[in-house]
Amino acid sequence: MAKDMEQLYAERLRRYTTAMRKGKPDRIPIRPFVAEFVAKYAGYTCQEVTQDYEKAFAATRKCAVDFDWDATVANMVYGWAGLTQAIGLKYYAVPGVDLDVNTGFQYIEPPEDKAWMPPEDYDALIADPTGYLFNVWLPRVSADVAAPGQPNTLRNNLSFVKGGMAMMAYFGGFGRQADLLRRESGTVSAIAGILKAPMDILADKLRGYLGLCTDLYDRPKKVLAACEALAPHLAHVALSGADPTKNVPITIWMHRGCVPFVNMEHFERIFWPTLKPILQEIWRHGHQVLFYAEGKWGAHLKRFAELPDASIIYHVDRDDIFEVHKVLGHKFALSGGIPNDLLAFGTPKQIREVCKKVIDGVGRDGGYIMDASAIVQNDARVENIRAMTDFTREYGVY
Amino acid sequence: MPDETRELIRPPGVCIPWEEKLKELPPLKGDARLVQKVWEDTDSLAYTYIWQCLLSF
Repeated sequence: MAKDMEQLYAERLRRYTTAMRKGKPDRIPIRPFVAEFVAKYAGYTCQEVTQDYEKAFAATRKCAVDFDWDATVANMVYGWAGLTQAIGLKYYAVPGVDLDVNTGFQYIEPPEDKAWMPPEDYDALIADPTGYLFNVWLPRVSADVAAPGQPNTLRNNLSFVKGGMAMMAYFGGFGRQADLLRRESGTVSAIAGILKAPMDILADKLRGYLGLCTDLYDRPKKVLAACEALAPHLAHVALSGADPTKNVPITIWMHRGCVPFVNMEHFERIFWPTLKPILQEIWRHGHQVLFYAEGKWGAHLKRFAELPDASIIYHVDRDDIFEVHKVLGHKFALSGGIPNDLLAFGTPKQIREVCKKVIDGVGRDGGYIMDASAIVQNDARVENIRAMTDFTREYGVY
Repeated sequence: MPDETRELIRPPGVCIPWEEKLKELPPLKGDARLVQKVWEDTDSLAYTYIWQCLLSF
């Protein structure tokens, strides 16, 4: 690697990690989470970056070179359709197959009466989560996998061979991509490892949101027991994918466990008591968590403030970032806060104004990372992403 | 053939516990720890597969 590129990488890693630990680096790091935007910028369709992950990787690297960001996600169009098709997963709508070629992939949640896990399955899930996923859940969510006791099929066998090998190839590609980002543009691969809250994953992939809401009233003890059963596995998966150098954080994608999706009592009695210990466990292992608070989690900020200092980086989506800063800014670094609707429909002047406001109000003492509020899709205007980047580089110097 | 649908105590990272696999094997003539390590390492790949299906895809 060219020495100057390695030096650039080292500077950016130091800038990024310093800010994440609530320190004051030389300037505010720029770390956009860009998904289908990379396709738009690099001249690909959503279909191309969803079905051909090498194009997604290439588009991400092109953005990293051209925008000169400090860090970015190796591939934010994470749901590679080759893999989901190999496994036969039923719950994806894929651009170029089910959707227009320029629409991002979608997750299809079944109606409540067709949830992937019916309510009578709670005990089986609680008793043996891994066994349940293999024996019951996977045959339901896959068009190809046969459940134990059903006649075996070629498609069943192929699902595991193709799915397993495809997953290995794809995950292996992330290591290569991180290395290329480093060598080609000195860019840091921003995150490593995945976490979801037990109650969120129960809603997302098992009971569905409506099913979960019914259960919270009809069988709350089962919901709590299921979350407790899932929690050690979710912690294990998060740690097994974490950055061994402990520089970049594990990301938790916070979904629908907040008010008003659920009420405060359910958050207090089930959501938070089954998530908090996972976050504490991860911190005990020396890893930070990027707390990607999708939507509005403002009703729960005081609970999040219970976590150890600097154990998370709190990412702000639709909450008021200045209010979040008042409650959490003394404990955690913040990121985000640049509205996606403004990136899509606003002007560069408006973007510069909002960036200035956020930097002045939140980032003046360090502990802030510039990013959009939510994952950037192909509705964002290139000139607005450019304005966010260039303004922060100029104005965000300490 | 073991009953693959019966509920087992499967700690995180494990699909088929080594203790279960050991029951199927003849008395080991060599390094038992090596056999166990290789079993557990490859078993954990299957664990990763199903939990990544749940979480990431």
